[in-house]
Amino acid sequence: MKTMKKLIAVALMLGAASVADAGKGGSAASIQAAIASNGQDAILAEVERTETLECSACVPLVTQLLTDNRYAVREVAAWWFAKRPGLQQRLAVQMEAALQGGDSVGIRNAADFLGTTKEYKALPLLRATMSRGSALTVDARLALVRAAGYMAHTGGNPILLAGMADSDASVRTAAVFAWRDVLGQANVTPVEPLLTDGTPQVRAAAATVIGAYRDARVVGSLEQLVMNDGDVTVRRNAAWALGKIGSTQATEALTAASHDASPIVASVARASLHALH
Amino acid sequence: MTKTFKSIAIGAALFTMGPLTGCGTDDSGGPLGNVDALIILQRPARNDDGNVFSYTSYIAGAHLLKLSPPTAAGTVTPICCDQQPELAGMDIQSYDLSFDATQIVFSGHSATDSNYGLYLLTLATGEVQSLNSDPGRDYVYPIFLPGNKILFETNNVVSNAVTDPMPAQHVDEYERATTAQVGTINIDGTGEELGPRNLSHRVQPSLASDGRVIFTQWDHLGPENQGDLMFMADDMTTLREAFGKEGDSASNSTLKAREISPGRMVAIATARDRTVQSGAIIDVRLGLPYEQDGVLRADNMMSEANATFVNLTPDVPVDMTPSSDTVGRYYDAFPLDQSEHPQLLVSWADGPVETEELAAAGLNAEFGTYLYDTNTQERHPIMQDPGMWDIMARPLQTRVAPPATAAEIDSSIGEEALIGSMNVYDSTLHQFTPGSIYGVRMMEGFSSEEGFPEMFGTTEFEGHAALGVAKVQSDGSWLAHIPANVPIHLQAVDVFGMSLFNEPVWTSARPGESRVCGGCHENRAITTVIDPGITQAAAFGPFDAMGEVPRANRIMAPADVTNANLIAADGTGINKLVGMSWGGSDPTQTGTTGAVQQVFNDNCVSCHGADNKAGIPGYTITDAKGNVVLNWTFNLSADPITVNYGPATDDGPAMQTFSASYFTMAGPDMEAIEMNNLMITGNFKVYMNPEDAANSILIQKVNPTQLFPVPNAAVRAFTTTPHSSVGYDSGRELTPTEFYKLILAADMGANYYARENNPHASSY
Repeated sequence: MKTMKKLIAVALMLGAASVADAGKGGSAASIQAAIASNGQDAILAEVERTETLECSACVPLVTQLLTDNRYAVREVAAWWFAKRPGLQQRLAVQMEAALQGGDSVGIRNAADFLGTTKEYKALPLLRATMSRGSALTVDARLALVRAAGYMAHTGGNPILLAGMADSDASVRTAAVFAWRDVLGQANVTPVEPLLTDGTPQVRAAAATVIGAYRDARVVGSLEQLVMNDGDVTVRRNAAWALGKIGSTQATEALTAASHDASPIVASVARASLHALH
Repeated sequence: MTKTFKSIAIGAALFTMGPLTGCGTDDSGGPLGNVDALIILQRPARNDDGNVFSYTSYIAGAHLLKLSPPTAAGTVTPICCDQQPELAGMDIQSYDLSFDATQIVFSGHSATDSNYGLYLLTLATGEVQSLNSDPGRDYVYPIFLPGNKILFETNNVVSNAVTDPMPAQHVDEYERATTAQVGTINIDGTGEELGPRNLSHRVQPSLASDGRVIFTQWDHLGPENQGDLMFMADDMTTLREAFGKEGDSASNSTLKAREISPGRMVAIATARDRTVQSGAIIDVRLGLPYEQDGVLRADNMMSEANATFVNLTPDVPVDMTPSSDTVGRYYDAFPLDQSEHPQLLVSWADGPVETEELAAAGLNAEFGTYLYDTNTQERHPIMQDPGMWDIMARPLQTRVAPPATAAEIDSSIGEEALIGSMNVYDSTLHQFTPGSIYGVRMMEGFSSEEGFPEMFGTTEFEGHAALGVAKVQSDGSWLAHIPANVPIHLQAVDVFGMSLFNEPVWTSARPGESRVCGGCHENRAITTVIDPGITQAAAFGPFDAMGEVPRANRIMAPADVTNANLIAADGTGINKLVGMSWGGSDPTQTGTTGAVQQVFNDNCVSCHGADNKAGIPGYTITDAKGNVVLNWTFNLSADPITVNYGPATDDGPAMQTFSASYFTMAGPDMEAIEMNNLMITGNFKVYMNPEDAANSILIQKVNPTQLFPVPNAAVRAFTTTPHSSVGYDSGRELTPTEFYKLILAADMGANYYARENNPHASSY
């Protein structure tokens, strides 16, 4: 009953939500109410609903969301500005300044904005910012990698390369995955050394990306992983990659892996063996 | 490891466990009388699982449970996934039970996974295997298919070594989320195949007794914006609309359809967002209902036009209005019988199941498993574990596997697909004047995944590339080879190349698939013998609509973009017009041009530049207080502009930047004008209507000359005097190429961006 009373009280406070179809019926008041609730889905929904609404009153509200602690909220706020190119460009100037002179939180927020809005002209500055390396927080470096990934432009490759050499495993992992989806990416050569990374999460990511590119040059490394790595996820992903590459050179390793103690690894190895034949 | 959970009853007065009798399948024990156990998916409760098309929402701690007997007093046994340490931290997105009830396929994400993958649980041993899905992509909503196959949705993207070696997956209608598309894999993890793509999401599939798969598709083409039910064969061919597009659906989105009886589906009706993917339960009848052997079916005359629904939970909102206390919302439903008022296994949560109110209260919706009597509208609690969702309950029992519906692939077609119609004039959507259709234009659709800045212009249309016009033969038939797996948009066009009618959806086909319809959205309730071999189009052979042209080459050559003479006197060269880039890739730069701007630069700007020498009266946009938002005069120059929509009394935000000519032609976003209560006074006109060149003022003004089958300057589209009588800067009439550029620009959505001016193509 206590729970129900709390809900009813909140309902009375907020008033009934408006009936709205997808992409229609948004307003500054709705965004304000969603922000007040602090509900991520509600904020995302109401910002999306004002996709095409010319709404001056929305601007300060959505601007405020650009500094939210949740990436999903910052992302939708940046997306909102991307739909308003004139305003987006004004903000891009501010964000570029934040990259140069802001603290790590400001850099994180700026990178997310510039990445989400695909402000390609900011790529040189994003690259320069990433080169500051450990002077930035992990969050800021992750955001720079995320921006490069979102843009999926080869001009972001230096950011991803720096990310793959980062001291933090989460940054290295994000950079590896982002490398895969860069449009027109030529190869996965920079990912190959990460097959021997000290962190299983990074090795698993590297095996995945190398498999997706069918990079046959590292079959030997993948064989070592599938047979000897101590981490189940690494062995599984290496088995998957060997199947994607399809080199019969991996037959012996996959045959051995098909008897792996983990059914997860063994099942993937058997399916990959089938792909070799 | 077995433990008994305490099932709780919310609102005891309403939901007291009563005798489970009624229209059940067993006289002695009610609707679950012949069921030994239920399988239930238990996930930690959450409030931010996204809109109805969101498919990833990782929180560790999900389990598959067995409840036996299937009552509130039954014993709950976790069956997955604590038995294997490598699966620690598992979340389970969705699951399905095999036909022989011995295996469960599920979409899972362990603590060490980067994405949701496919897993197979063998019930007898408890062993969980991985199904060899791409570890870097999400695989969700798996279901069993006949023939030891599994169908799933994935954000992995189908590729083709020749035409599409490394494509990016489409993003959704908002240009935000990566879409989920359909695929299949064998239950031993081999033979993965990815299906043709929609331009937005496809989610929540289930298998019908006729062997087809029904699922929810997000339909978005310009103003079209809703989640509808679609069918496809189990080999991912033969897409067909089922419910929602034509008729009046119960809601913006129809989800989680599951067959009650042939032609009848139980589904969730709700708004796209803020409802925790839950809503009212509806009984969808895809055809005309009739009773046979005690079963209410609706597989007679199945077509969208005949489809209806019955709301089984009339008090539950079908939009995002917060639901009332004791009314709540339903997450899913599973039918236990085939009567008119079936008993359902449902997941239900009480209170205002609406994300904003829940978030404000710091609460989550708590879905529990109930038995719902649709006749009395009573819920009987079966299981609800506090802090958890107990969802997707279904009997642990065998079921009959439907017949396979595959074998639509013709290997002789190769890597492209064949589409066409027996008689394009046969249509329920539009009445064509006999002889009015010259051909059918095919246009490829794409989203911002190719590097576009989240929008293609101000008109809400996705990116387009013209693949060509297939001539309609005298018997009304046409055929064309199109790129496989690519969303295609069709228009019937006249001899001027102008659209007579748009098919208001995207469609796609697999390599080797032949998608030949009776007509242009013909009556689906009438049997049509599809035999394209007997048509004239077959005799002439299919038109080649870039069927084997790589994606990277489905673009105009740079030198052709500003060429005003691509179409020769004999009509050749028209295939060089593909994407209608309006101006340069950076609209903030001066001096740029594009396929459309070339026409204005060469012919118009001396009179219709920024100085408005022609003296065309302008218009003013004001807000509700009378403040001037914008004064605008006709301007066809390439000048970059920044429109300030803010009140004139302050500096206001700049909201829109494109070239002057684009703003003049496409106008401000009229939806935005309407929604913000802005007023326009003066000589306001939108000169280019998206997808409607024929009724666009610009096109009528220039009055194009005949284009097909060969250009003919003596024949005009309209009876009005062409603007060339006033004179163009070039000192000549517009060329056939220029006419067609303007027509294509309009009929392909009046976008600013096309592949030809994609900003992503530049170096930075």
